[in-house]
Amino acid sequence: MSRTNIIALLIFGAVLAYFLSFGPDMTQKFKSGVYQSLAPFLTSGSGLKKQITSVRSGLKSLDQLEHENASLQVENRELRATNQGLRDVEHEVNRLRHALNYRERSVFKLIAAEIIARDSSTWWRTVTINRGRRDGLETDMPIVTDEGLVGKTTTVSDSISIVLLVSDESCRVAASIEGSREQGIVSGERVTTGMTPLLDLNFLSKQADLKPGQKVYTSGVGGVFPSGLLIGVVKSFRVRELDGQAQLTPAVDLSHLEDVFVVTGRR
Amino acid sequence: MIFFSILVALVVVAQIVELFIPALPWLYNAHIYIVPVIVFYGAMALPFPLMLALAFCAGALLDALTVHVIAGKVEISAGSSILLYGVLAGIMHGLRPLFARGRWEVHCILSGIFTSLIVLAQYLMITFRRGSLVFTREIWWQIAAPGLIAMALAPIVFWSLQWIGRMTGYAYGPERRQFE
Repeated sequence: MSRTNIIALLIFGAVLAYFLSFGPDMTQKFKSGVYQSLAPFLTSGSGLKKQITSVRSGLKSLDQLEHENASLQVENRELRATNQGLRDVEHEVNRLRHALNYRERSVFKLIAAEIIARDSSTWWRTVTINRGRRDGLETDMPIVTDEGLVGKTTTVSDSISIVLLVSDESCRVAASIEGSREQGIVSGERVTTGMTPLLDLNFLSKQADLKPGQKVYTSGVGGVFPSGLLIGVVKSFRVRELDGQAQLTPAVDLSHLEDVFVVTGRR
Repeated sequence: MIFFSILVALVVVAQIVELFIPALPWLYNAHIYIVPVIVFYGAMALPFPLMLALAFCAGALLDALTVHVIAGKVEISAGSSILLYGVLAGIMHGLRPLFARGRWEVHCILSGIFTSLIVLAQYLMITFRRGSLVFTREIWWQIAAPGLIAMALAPIVFWSLQWIGRMTGYAYGPERRQFE
């Protein structure tokens, strides 16, 4: 091995040792710094992806177009008939939509955010949002939609933040069950097979006997997530050797998220 | 040096592009990894010090994107991806004589295997942290599929990078004669 190669190897080893010595704070700073430098590319890449997706979804075959045209003509006749009646309803819907706007009716102080990128790695479920320290975000802030809990912020840089989804195995949420005194801890599964990830509700008593359809909410224990946020709905329950475990369907469709809210506090 | 800079830029671009490529639901939600293929090409085409520098860049970027600090604890230590890339690229670098003779097939296959090894290593590291070592069919597929995809991508990526190398006048030729 030449002297140049040995020197290169020594420098590589030294830098590697420096990185390996990083504690949580340095790791956060390093991660936050890299994300901040990538922020312009992630933001513009997100916009580009949306444009490409809209163009791709607009491309259809001739057969598809004919089929679509026929069904649209039928639909058009139906719509003409109902259109008249809907005019009056339209005004009321607009009024109600405004009144029921989630941000307005929520008991939490919310900051709207857009998802600009998703984790490309196999074992972690995170997304990147276009809000950061400049918008008042900090680590461990809950992320929600009007449907329920999405996750929490883990790394916050100046203009973007990383959100750990509730479907990640390392995201633990204290939970209580509707119509029951049972409490447990919700976490994601390490591997998901389908498009929709499922959640595990662990540490229930063996007698819990949860029924499918029961709603699971955050209990507020732990201090990160406020109580009363819908996490998901019970899909199944099973008794294990030491405790009971329920499988939940997340309240939010995590695979098609586009807009979220960051909970910055209570009103 | 121009070619090295291009490779570093491509690593950064590929890493960003990976963030926008969705997982493949028909392949057990497997992800597509392009960066390892570029790094392993660099391992064959670049001299040892530059190979290490490229492995460092790719590893640091991967660390920044995958290392998570949750509840004040680091799940996978920063630097682990640098180490992985360094070791695997080092092995690939050892096979330069074959590459210089124009035998790419071994490197294409190894690019796939090494990509899967990176995913496997990440899985083992999080398993060590979280506990309960399980290997289901889904997990094996999520480890193997990125490797198979990388293996399929490798010839195209290698050919494109070889072409870029020629365009930039990268002097790989003298070493080729040296190997022969």
